[in-house]
Amino acid sequence: MTDASLETTRRTFLARGAGLSLGAIALDGLLARDATVRAAEPPLGLPGLPHFAPRAKRVIFLTQSGGPSQLELFDPKPGLTKWAGTELPASVRQGQRLTTMTSGQKQLVLPGRTKFLTCPESGAQVGEWLPHLAQVAAKCCFIRSLHTDQINHAPAMTQFLTGNQLPGRPSMGAWVSYGLGSENRDLPDYLVMISKMQRPSDQPLYDHYWGAGFLPSRYQGVKLRSARDAVLDLRDPAGLDRAARRGMLDGLAELNGMRQAATGDAEIATRIRQYEMAYRMQASVPDLVDVSDEADETFDLYGPDSRRPGSYAANCLLARRLAERGVRFIQLFHPDWDHHSRLTSWCTARCRDTDQPTAVLLVDLERRGLLDDTLVIWGGEFGRGVAGQGDWKSPEAGRDHHPRCFTMFLAGGGVKPGLTYGATDEFSYNVAENPVHVRDLHATVLHLLGIDHERLTHRFMGLDFKLTGVEPARVVREILS
Amino acid sequence: MPRPISYQRALRAIVALAAVLGLRAAPAGEIRFGRDILPLLSENCFACHGPDESHREADLRLDTREGLLAAVNLTSPAASELITRITATDPDVQMPPPTAHKKPLTPQQVKLLTDWLAAGAPWGSHWAFEPPVRPPLPAVGERHPVDAFVAEGLAREGLAFAPPAPPHVLARRAAFDLTGLPPDAADVLTLEAALAAGTFDTAWIAYVQKLLASPHYGERMAMWWLDAARYADTDGFQSDATRTNWPWRDWVVEAFNMNLPFDRFTVEQTAGDLLPGATAAQRLATCFHRNHMTNGEGGRDPEESRVEYVIDRINTTGTTWLGLTLGCCQCHSHKYDPVSQHEYYSLAAFFDSIDENGQAGRGAKPYLAVESPHVARAVAEAEALVAARKPAHDAARKAAEQPFAAWVATEHARVRQSPRFTAWQPLTVANVSASEGTQFTVEPEGTVQAHGPEPFQDDYFVAATAPRERITGLRLEVFRHPSHTGGGFGRGPQGHFVVTDIKLRVEEEGSAQVRELRLAGAVADHSDDPKKHQGYGSVKDVLDDDPRNGWSTREQPDAERHVAVFALSEPLVLAANEWLVAEIRQRSTLGGANVGRFRISATASAGPTVKSLDEPPLEALARIESLGDKLEHLPDALRKRLMDEFLTDHEPYQLAKRALDVANRQHGEAKAARKVDVMVLAEREQPRTTHLLLRGVWDAKGDVVAPGAPAALDGMSVMLPGRPATRLDLANWLVSPRNPLTARVAVNHLWQIAFGAGLVRSAEDFGLQGERPTHPELLDWLAVEFREGGWDVKHLLELLLTSRTYRQDSAASAELAARDPANRLLARGPRYRLPSWMLRDQALAAAGLLNPALGGPPVRPWHPPGVWEELFMGRFTYEPSAGPAQHRRTLYAFWRRSIAPTFLFDSAQRRTCEVSLPRTNTPLQALTLLNDLIYLEAARGLAERVLAEPASASGAEPEKIVTAIFRRVLFRGPAPAERDVLVREFTRARERFAADETAASTFLASTDPGGIFEGHASPPADRAAATLIASLVLNLDEALTHE
Repeated sequence: MTDASLETTRRTFLARGAGLSLGAIALDGLLARDATVRAAEPPLGLPGLPHFAPRAKRVIFLTQSGGPSQLELFDPKPGLTKWAGTELPASVRQGQRLTTMTSGQKQLVLPGRTKFLTCPESGAQVGEWLPHLAQVAAKCCFIRSLHTDQINHAPAMTQFLTGNQLPGRPSMGAWVSYGLGSENRDLPDYLVMISKMQRPSDQPLYDHYWGAGFLPSRYQGVKLRSARDAVLDLRDPAGLDRAARRGMLDGLAELNGMRQAATGDAEIATRIRQYEMAYRMQASVPDLVDVSDEADETFDLYGPDSRRPGSYAANCLLARRLAERGVRFIQLFHPDWDHHSRLTSWCTARCRDTDQPTAVLLVDLERRGLLDDTLVIWGGEFGRGVAGQGDWKSPEAGRDHHPRCFTMFLAGGGVKPGLTYGATDEFSYNVAENPVHVRDLHATVLHLLGIDHERLTHRFMGLDFKLTGVEPARVVREILS
Repeated sequence: MPRPISYQRALRAIVALAAVLGLRAAPAGEIRFGRDILPLLSENCFACHGPDESHREADLRLDTREGLLAAVNLTSPAASELITRITATDPDVQMPPPTAHKKPLTPQQVKLLTDWLAAGAPWGSHWAFEPPVRPPLPAVGERHPVDAFVAEGLAREGLAFAPPAPPHVLARRAAFDLTGLPPDAADVLTLEAALAAGTFDTAWIAYVQKLLASPHYGERMAMWWLDAARYADTDGFQSDATRTNWPWRDWVVEAFNMNLPFDRFTVEQTAGDLLPGATAAQRLATCFHRNHMTNGEGGRDPEESRVEYVIDRINTTGTTWLGLTLGCCQCHSHKYDPVSQHEYYSLAAFFDSIDENGQAGRGAKPYLAVESPHVARAVAEAEALVAARKPAHDAARKAAEQPFAAWVATEHARVRQSPRFTAWQPLTVANVSASEGTQFTVEPEGTVQAHGPEPFQDDYFVAATAPRERITGLRLEVFRHPSHTGGGFGRGPQGHFVVTDIKLRVEEEGSAQVRELRLAGAVADHSDDPKKHQGYGSVKDVLDDDPRNGWSTREQPDAERHVAVFALSEPLVLAANEWLVAEIRQRSTLGGANVGRFRISATASAGPTVKSLDEPPLEALARIESLGDKLEHLPDALRKRLMDEFLTDHEPYQLAKRALDVANRQHGEAKAARKVDVMVLAEREQPRTTHLLLRGVWDAKGDVVAPGAPAALDGMSVMLPGRPATRLDLANWLVSPRNPLTARVAVNHLWQIAFGAGLVRSAEDFGLQGERPTHPELLDWLAVEFREGGWDVKHLLELLLTSRTYRQDSAASAELAARDPANRLLARGPRYRLPSWMLRDQALAAAGLLNPALGGPPVRPWHPPGVWEELFMGRFTYEPSAGPAQHRRTLYAFWRRSIAPTFLFDSAQRRTCEVSLPRTNTPLQALTLLNDLIYLEAARGLAERVLAEPASASGAEPEKIVTAIFRRVLFRGPAPAERDVLVREFTRARERFAADETAASTFLASTDPGGIFEGHASPPADRAAATLIASLVLNLDEALTHE
């Protein structure tokens, strides 16, 4: 909070208290938790934002961690069968760096393992492992020409989410929360959910992926857990009921109010408010995650997994509930897309986790009138290479990381539905037309939210930082509706 | 010969700069280049017309006077292109250009530049790059040097010092600043008495000196230094392996405690290994430069990692000692400060020849083997814990004998009753379905036969009701059948099966959510060798949700049936409206291996029945006709197995056993810490050739560079005639009197420790884009004092804390708060929220729980359950420390780099160097302070402590209880109005708890995670109410604040 807004808050606080006892201030403003207190809260986001009329008010980012294979899922290359088992031409590879996992072996072409389904409405093509998504593909805009600079998971994911491969920059969600604030005063602006898996993950999801970097920490993503406490330390200790907590907080607010009068420190008013927000979250978060008010039909739509707390399907349902509540940036993480081997058993497992819930989320948002102003993003930190890892002929073969091209899709707020944008060469190795760097994606997402990426900056260490970094980034206007 | 430049383009360069800075209107009198002009040029022009030649526009540079002269007219300044461009409104001409998104310069700023040009554009350098010179003390009637400079500034603004803060506030302030702990109550009394006696000044000096002499001083200072050093107990990145660099942390504590001069402190950490006759301690010191993250991600080139470590070291050195954002130069010359990319890699060259290879985990050589003197204490502490818990365990084991005998008798009677007792009962199958089309027939006895389509892969879902008694495990039998391929186990091409995963869940009628059950283990009559069957074979692999492995029995095709037994993590009791769903996943890569015929059974027996395929002990018991009085007819082996089963369920014993297991593990860990490897610096025999890296990319090698320091910082003094410079030369240059930055940066850090914010607010950036000091002369005076006084850290802190400036009251009038909200003028004392680590230490101290031991291996404070497990999907589990180890200072808390201790907020991340800490105010912090186990236990401890005092033990006197709690945290008595609120809340809470004894006892249990508050005389309602009030007091703004 800036000094100025603190000051305003303090004045408001004290002005309301004039002529009343301090206890009355607390009781009037805090105990009742009325509109007055909310009005005293700092304004939404930064002044002057959005820079222009937004097309989307909120984002649901379905982050698929590990690098889903575009060759099996989104970027059909039927012509590859004739290259099967032959060495990738050097003219295609152009010295692309490999990870040390495959740099020692020959790069033999492994054609895509799937047949592709064609969406009757839009003609979009989706691999047969994602049958539900294929049915709703007309709502999506597929970008086949994404590319990134990083070939290993942590740096690539860090760049994908924060614009820079080194940890320490704010994530996209933090930038958006910083710029736009939230429409909901009872929940944080930026919430993160991670699918609960049984398998130990090879790629941990670091909390800097949703961190605030050098922005104030209140902009960082708050992780909603599928554990007993959806937010760490949310629950009061057993034996302390709501009334007892309320009484304790009233006493606390009253005493803090006295302290503020004695010290003149406006930060105390903020503190009182934050304790009240904590109290409200103790009700609003359980209300959010308590899905017992959802119809059976909804669970049937999202699939059986949606009844399993912590699953991707259950998180998709929660994402819809968060969107309904006006939360600004909702990010899901589904791990384990790193299929170096056994595509038919391993990649299909992740497809089964995510296919139906992803497709149904789009349908569900649409039927509730939320898809128009919600931007849904699906994608991972990079793609996978055309060469087979391991013996290409064996069912055990997989694919190594590939940063030069990969596919993502966007849907909803302000995006052209049914479009397939960008193209790769016949090996799905290099971008052949309309390249989109991850920073172009960042610029585009901000644009849809009404933000000029050049103007959402924050000064740190004497420099003005922005999500899109120092290299030129462009808004991909061709995909805007 | 200067090239002619386009005036338009040149102008664009100049205009871009000034507005953001919000520079004060030019003070009356002279214009100073470093203070007034350079920041304007830097902010608005240098990005395109500065030191970075690769991004320079129009070949115009304005960071040198020579360059600037190309764009100005000194005789007619207003006609200079510089000025016409910054005042232009045509976007094609305007500077900074609209694309720079900077505000136009203000009229005052334009005037400043014009006046400066009129004066002949006198040049100078950035203030921080000139060595500090000790300025004379202002004659303002203040004897203390700090006060003299501050008072001068105040007088200029028409302000005066605030009155001194009361003794209890000062005592608390200084104790936190110097030890990170609250003060001793006795010291507060002494200071209060001294104030009354008119001897406060003397008493204050004595108090500050006492704090500086405390062993906790070194711990507090270490917390500062560890943040800068990005110290952690793990590598970070993907594998995040544990490292054992904590002896270096203890070295830092000791260095501060013995007041090692800051120049020695610097030299030993930068190049201790290169000192003549380097001692083990000096080599240990160099771990500073190995505290960076290390990356063991598979597929990564180790050389890329190694280069990253070198870069990290130089960036850390830049931030910590030089206050420079050198990291910018990794990819290009600095845009603002006079450090070129060449010079950056010359600095990197000092760290490029470490005998390392980019590996992480246990391969991150070079190491130093260290036997820490602090381990013996940790071992003794753990031993004592084991010794304390062993008798309880043994007693519980002994006490189990009698109920065991009774249990055996009862069970014997029960199992003899049924005609043929079996421990396993088939589930009553209600429905079987499959996701890919297999069809089923359920036969009598619960056997399921597959028929119909035979998909490539399939998942079977068996919904069943189970006996009303509990379920401790499940058994899966797979049978041959004539209808199968070759009469084998399945209908696939080869007649065999591969089960990849098994999942269990409970569904409840009408419920939106299902409950997943965890399986703790699996055994089978036969498991194939996975190495021979493409990874498939082991029955344990059906627990891991990974379709790339699973259970198969191809090696024994002739068996009549195959059996696997699965133990549940916790016994399950199904309610009447619940049923069990077992999911059998068959998703192997090769496919065609679905089970053809199977049966699932359940058991209620714990222990051996679900852990092995041997005959269940109760079935063996059923064959024994009669038991004697003392079970003497039982064979020993059976008796043991029965005992195993009994104890598995016997909670009193399990409780004692778990407690002892934790203590034993802790003991084992402590012993393993006796000799550990610490990552240190050592030069390799053959130095590496250092290259400039093009665009900062690790393998894009440019020119060869020699070690050296930037010329603008008098780095030439590092270069010695006749031999290449070494890391030791670098270290000596850092602390040389000719280095303009190190002393300033260090005293600024110390100022930040005492005042919450530095004289230079941007502690990490003293460069052109950093903030200017609020009191430049004071900063220089302190820097020279520090350097000339032998780099004496304690002396400098004593100087700061004994000033009148420090001792001011922190309250602010509305007028002052509005005029100087950030307290840059220092017309009041510093008031800010304490760092979260101090809050934990304070709570422990107030509760009387704090374990003041120094040093040793890290400990694990309470964490909400499941935090590590979630992040690493179970690869790491967090077991909180037991016994006194739980209550060590936060400095010793295990720091996992990928997930910092969750009870901390606004703390450094310990990933890269951090020297200035953010302070935010969020609802999550409130939740932590209200509900985290650490704070609940501390509140409970505080309450118990107060209730145990004779003065307040009587439950009838809420006033005394709340006053004592208040005093223990704030070191003052509550004002009457405050006391009334506390009494009201205490009374209300006590009434509530007295009316609801269950709530009281539940609350007491939930605030005692370690089971340490036993045997107390006060009524539960008093204890619960006092705990709630203690929590309230610990959450008071005053308690959280450096007042």
